[in-house]
Amino acid sequence: MSMPIFGSETFASRPVDPEELRRSLPSTMDVHSVSQEQVDALDPLTYEVVRHRLWSVTDEMGEALKRMSGSPIVTDANDFDFAISDELGQEVQVGLYNTMLVGAVDLAIYWTLRNRAANPGIAEGDMFLTNDPWVGGGLHQNDVMVYQPVFHDGKLFAWTSAICHEPDLGGVGLGSFSPAAEDVFSESLPTPPVKVVRDFELQRDVADVWVRRSRVPMLVALDLRAKVGANNVGRERLHALIEQYGADTVKAVMKRMMADAETRLRDKLTSLPDGSWSATGYQDQSHEGDRGLHKITVTTTKTGDHLTFDFTGTDPQSGVVNCTYAGMRGGVMLALLPILAGDIPWSAGGLMRCFDLITEEGTLNNATYPAAVGRGPIGPAWLTGNLVAECLSQMLDRDLELGKNVQATCCGTWDTAVIAGLDERAEQPAPFLNIIMEPMSGGYGARPHADGIDTGGLFCIPMGRIPDVEMTEFLYPVLALWRREVPDSGGPGRHRGGVGASIAITPHGTSIPMGLVLASNGKAVSQNGGLAGGHPGNTGLDVLARQSRVSELLASGRMPSELSEISDSLEPAQNYASSYLAPGEVFVMTWQGGGGYGDPLTRDPRAVARDLREQKITADAARSVYGVVVESGTVDEAATAGERERQRSARRERSSLLGAPSGRKADLAAVKRLDDNLVEVAVGDGAAVACRHCAEVLGDGEDVALAVYEGPATDAGPQIIANAADYVDAPVVFRQYCCPSCWTAFYSAVVPAGHPAPPLGRQTPARAA
Amino acid sequence: MAYVIGVDVGGTFTDAVLDDDAGTVLAAKSPSTPPDYSRGVLDVLGLLAEQLGKSLPEMLAETHHIAHGTTSSLNALVMGNVPPVGFLTTKGHRDSIFIMNVEGRYLGRSPHELQNVLGQAKDHTLLPKRHALEVTERMDRDGNVVVRLDEDEARAAIRALLDDGVRAIAVSLLWSFRNPAHEHRLRELVAEADPDVFVALSSEVSPRIREFARNATTIMSTQIGPGLRDYLTTLEDTLRENRLSGPLLVMQSNGGAVAAKEAPATAISTVGSVLTGGVVGSVALGRQLGHRNIISTDVGGTTFLAGLVVDGEPVRDTTTVINHHPINVPTLRVDAIGSGGGAIAWLDAGGNLRIGPRSAQAVPGPACYGNGGTEPTNTDANLVLGILPERGLLGGRKPLSLELARQAIETQIAKPLGLSVEEAAAAIYTVQNAQTGDLLRKTVVEAGHDPRGFVLYAFGGAGPAHCAGYAAEVGVGEVVVPLGPVASAFSAYGLASSDIALAAELSDPTTVPFDPARAEQNFAVLEKQVREGLDRQGVKFDTVELHREIDMRYTMQLAEVTAPVVSGPLDAAAIEEAATAFEERYAALYGKDAGFREAGIQAITFRVRGIGILPFSPELPTIPAADSPDPAEARAGHRPVCLDAAAGYADTPVYDYRKLRAGHELAGPAIVEVPTTTVVVPGGTTGTVDSLGNLIIRRTSARSAS
Repeated sequence: MSMPIFGSETFASRPVDPEELRRSLPSTMDVHSVSQEQVDALDPLTYEVVRHRLWSVTDEMGEALKRMSGSPIVTDANDFDFAISDELGQEVQVGLYNTMLVGAVDLAIYWTLRNRAANPGIAEGDMFLTNDPWVGGGLHQNDVMVYQPVFHDGKLFAWTSAICHEPDLGGVGLGSFSPAAEDVFSESLPTPPVKVVRDFELQRDVADVWVRRSRVPMLVALDLRAKVGANNVGRERLHALIEQYGADTVKAVMKRMMADAETRLRDKLTSLPDGSWSATGYQDQSHEGDRGLHKITVTTTKTGDHLTFDFTGTDPQSGVVNCTYAGMRGGVMLALLPILAGDIPWSAGGLMRCFDLITEEGTLNNATYPAAVGRGPIGPAWLTGNLVAECLSQMLDRDLELGKNVQATCCGTWDTAVIAGLDERAEQPAPFLNIIMEPMSGGYGARPHADGIDTGGLFCIPMGRIPDVEMTEFLYPVLALWRREVPDSGGPGRHRGGVGASIAITPHGTSIPMGLVLASNGKAVSQNGGLAGGHPGNTGLDVLARQSRVSELLASGRMPSELSEISDSLEPAQNYASSYLAPGEVFVMTWQGGGGYGDPLTRDPRAVARDLREQKITADAARSVYGVVVESGTVDEAATAGERERQRSARRERSSLLGAPSGRKADLAAVKRLDDNLVEVAVGDGAAVACRHCAEVLGDGEDVALAVYEGPATDAGPQIIANAADYVDAPVVFRQYCCPSCWTAFYSAVVPAGHPAPPLGRQTPARAA
Repeated sequence: MAYVIGVDVGGTFTDAVLDDDAGTVLAAKSPSTPPDYSRGVLDVLGLLAEQLGKSLPEMLAETHHIAHGTTSSLNALVMGNVPPVGFLTTKGHRDSIFIMNVEGRYLGRSPHELQNVLGQAKDHTLLPKRHALEVTERMDRDGNVVVRLDEDEARAAIRALLDDGVRAIAVSLLWSFRNPAHEHRLRELVAEADPDVFVALSSEVSPRIREFARNATTIMSTQIGPGLRDYLTTLEDTLRENRLSGPLLVMQSNGGAVAAKEAPATAISTVGSVLTGGVVGSVALGRQLGHRNIISTDVGGTTFLAGLVVDGEPVRDTTTVINHHPINVPTLRVDAIGSGGGAIAWLDAGGNLRIGPRSAQAVPGPACYGNGGTEPTNTDANLVLGILPERGLLGGRKPLSLELARQAIETQIAKPLGLSVEEAAAAIYTVQNAQTGDLLRKTVVEAGHDPRGFVLYAFGGAGPAHCAGYAAEVGVGEVVVPLGPVASAFSAYGLASSDIALAAELSDPTTVPFDPARAEQNFAVLEKQVREGLDRQGVKFDTVELHREIDMRYTMQLAEVTAPVVSGPLDAAAIEEAATAFEERYAALYGKDAGFREAGIQAITFRVRGIGILPFSPELPTIPAADSPDPAEARAGHRPVCLDAAAGYADTPVYDYRKLRAGHELAGPAIVEVPTTTVVVPGGTTGTVDSLGNLIIRRTSARSAS
């Protein structure tokens, strides 16, 4: 870690009070706004017509961006987004692509209004470009935002913006992923807002400075043009809308859209019990050579119609696994948008008024310059989102109806690998650089009423996609030996987590080794935890087969389907590495599925048999994890009952008691749901907590009787495919809490031995807040 | 003396149009008869014969050909009502159809559903995994054999499928369009095991790069192929028994027909046939009216279909989405952009007025139908506004309840918003027109055009009441509403006017400039396939047209755009010309400078479209001319109608379409009642009846608030 940089705090953008921002603008800058009376005076007809038109403007911007971009990350994987914001930068309408970006866009506009209004000025015909994650706009330097002020009658009326992930913007590592980075100076240089378009003209000098830094300058130049084009579409259509309905009406609709989203989220929050919920997660390794675990922790408190996310206690920034404040806020949005606002229009400016962030400077998800933040979105911001999602799920799980939006954690990271080398298949050999996109097909977490979506994608990029194998092989000199779903990779549970997948590639059409950069985590500890006793999904695993037999196998008419066929010397790849992949070698990636929901021993045996038939699980897991005995496709009911009873007994034998069960049964007809496993029952004037499955009264809310077990991580099931000791020094365990009466699992996790105990009923609504 | 008959088998009704090429056009309508749709076809043909005063065999004996479009295959796919099929694919890659490139989770969903990620699922897989089997074999991108086909393993896989009761097998291997040898061998192995099993090869059904769409296309084609074969065999046998001697043709998604016996082999090419009939009809009518650029809107009770005609040719697409799968099928571009007359108006949790995408469907239908629907729809609003007659539809044969319509709007919309029922109905009407305008604009703009250069055609029961409104929203100045005999069977009219169209394609990705000989050879192979295909149709053509095309893209950009290629021998200049055409088209679609020439251009898929022009071009007959432009003689009465929330109700003349004559001019506001629809001529526009009985609505004054 290098020394702090004095003066860098100027670039740290934070949410602002819009009125204060308005007052701070230079008097030379005329800003268009409307009064609350004008907003209130809107009739429903005009509101709906203009609202829909604004949606259609945003949609057209996204189409333009997608079609003009040259980056497969945009065109094939949909890692981009776009927005329309009001005159002060508050987001009115956002795209449905990378939802983390929503938490960063407005920060950059606030910063620009504060720091560019006087010099060089903000004028009609300008567009700014930034990839400074401290300023905002994106979460790491690869996220580049181009945004413009839209003027009407000389007044600043609104902002449009377009962001996408660029494949490479320089720095030490391929794809700007620098696995050994000590600080941001080894990565792509963050660029604070610069005027890339002035008076409607792309500025050649600025564009050259920008493009020159990249290993793929042509792609970056093309994407720059695409983003300018998307903004042009946005400006022209906004002007047409203003012409038809008048500036005041359009602005009033924009304000009301945000107010409407805010009100609806506040109403939903009000309807939920107050309380506070915590979650803690880890990134294993922080950079090449590190063997540590790096913790992010959050306590989510809901009071009335407001949420507070308090990250106090999060580890200090370290290696390359940091993100800025924008990343933390983006992580919060990745969870909040789908979980709390799936049925509310994403007028993010309004939604973001409903929460505060509490955080310490210099930590993993609020890193201080010059921390390395290139992995921001796929490491710490993502983990932040998953932890917030875990808290929100606990909050919603109290209510059966709202519980429909509860979900165990999805695939917890993007398993990142970048390859680059020489394609010799054409007469004229050509260089190539590619981020392997397949790991975008992670599994989704299980829900209280349904299994997780198999290879459903990444929760933070709802409309992501992966390329066809044929397109990958057409563009790059590789052969995919397999690309397939991985049985057992979905977290076991009453509802099973969605499975993840795996790809094996070998060079084909190149005679020299290709560079290989690895930058991800989630091998040693689970990042895809289960809920309500459901188990975590699989750990990730990347493997290099150096002394491989693959060429001989193919030549002799055999297509290998297991690593053991390919090589006797397999090398688990470290999370962060600068390596290579030579002809005749094989590289295999396995990425994460989603976590399970509820005790797997309570899963419907017919669902287990179906999973076995559809190869979502193995026969071994059906018996050892789910306790289901399947004979030639059919459930053996008696044997299953016996096996499940045996496993419950095994839990009893291996666990230690934390407090004794009361020996009393509650009347389950008159209880209040706490979560999927626990209920609150009235006892005299007070309340007690009981097991929802066997009705055993477990305690009074201060003290709840539980049984706990800690054992090897592989006790979680066959999905634990990586050995934690290969990556980190700290011991990693499978920890399970059960009902000490019926032995139903309440909590099952693969965590470091020192992981804090979950609250499990010790936190009734009465006690919380 | 010979007839051409178009038959359109929809989910609810079977429509037919007959043209005698001598000025007579007849239309008939009869209920569809699932599961055996052929009965409904015979019923409707019987009705036509009756109108001719002939027996069915007499009519069929004089019929040159029947062009038939059916929704049954599409319905079968959407409802999952298909027999089990087997799937053989390359070892290591079976899960392509289960991973679905992730996009299978969200493809084809509305914006509303897209945002609700936690409500999504991927539970529409094509087949169970036990029917998807891998065989050891591998080609690379240049068509080289990397691993030879393991025939013993393949035989075992085929046996396992047959033992499990599978009677149709889809074969799709990686890179098979570059080298189909292993797919061909697998077909032989299936035939060795059982020659009666239906087999479809991806290298024949869809020889196009990107294995997920190719796999899905081949599997779906296999799922509907045997059913389509059985249905068409039954139908054709029955028609032959009734003395049909001319060919029975089946409409395809590409807007052209194919002989019935040829259809099942590439069954997937027929799935969009009923959707495209309206566009083909618009082309035919446009030819008569001299319109080259048309937005075709077909609005029914539950769907709103929008198609485009540019420069006299329908806008085409190379893929479509069925059941959340990308499907490779050359098709006319038809966007389903809304829910038609049954779209439900509702208030969201924020108290905002929303319309659709949920529809009241056929059952219960709009509240005013009195079938138990309590949610207000567009139709209910139109009744309250006086646009629809209080006495009901179909000249009163379908009664409507104004009371129920008012009640639904009052409870669900007016009261919560503090509006009167009339104000709420007017708001629904206006919002519906504006949003339809947004969606129509999306369709036109995404195809690379400016809507202001188009004429808009409106047909279907629910289109004409709104068309002038949504046309104004997108800046279209002229609207055509067909009122004549085919108005309610416009899609069948399109079928009757179609020609035979076949296409053959082949992906051969390569970088421009490439050896012209390579292109020439590709086109030679494809042209031979198309010519042979046309020969097999058993129809005499006036002429045959062959069109060569290449789907090209900028090396670093995803979007492929189709460029025409000249016929005859190809030289470097011809390839360059195609590349230039590609660039122009790309710029038109995505904007000037959107393309990135420096990165190079790639040719991806070569295609030949063959059109066999039939010796028939059905035309709408002329109607008698009016003595004067004053339409008073056609006036049936008047009623208060509200077309503009600000202006309120105005006493509005109502016309009976049967009494309208060519040259009549209807000053808006006016209403035209047709048994199957109601046309609104808003204030500030004039409706003119043309010589074919179409109502042409044009703006006469500055745009009023619609």
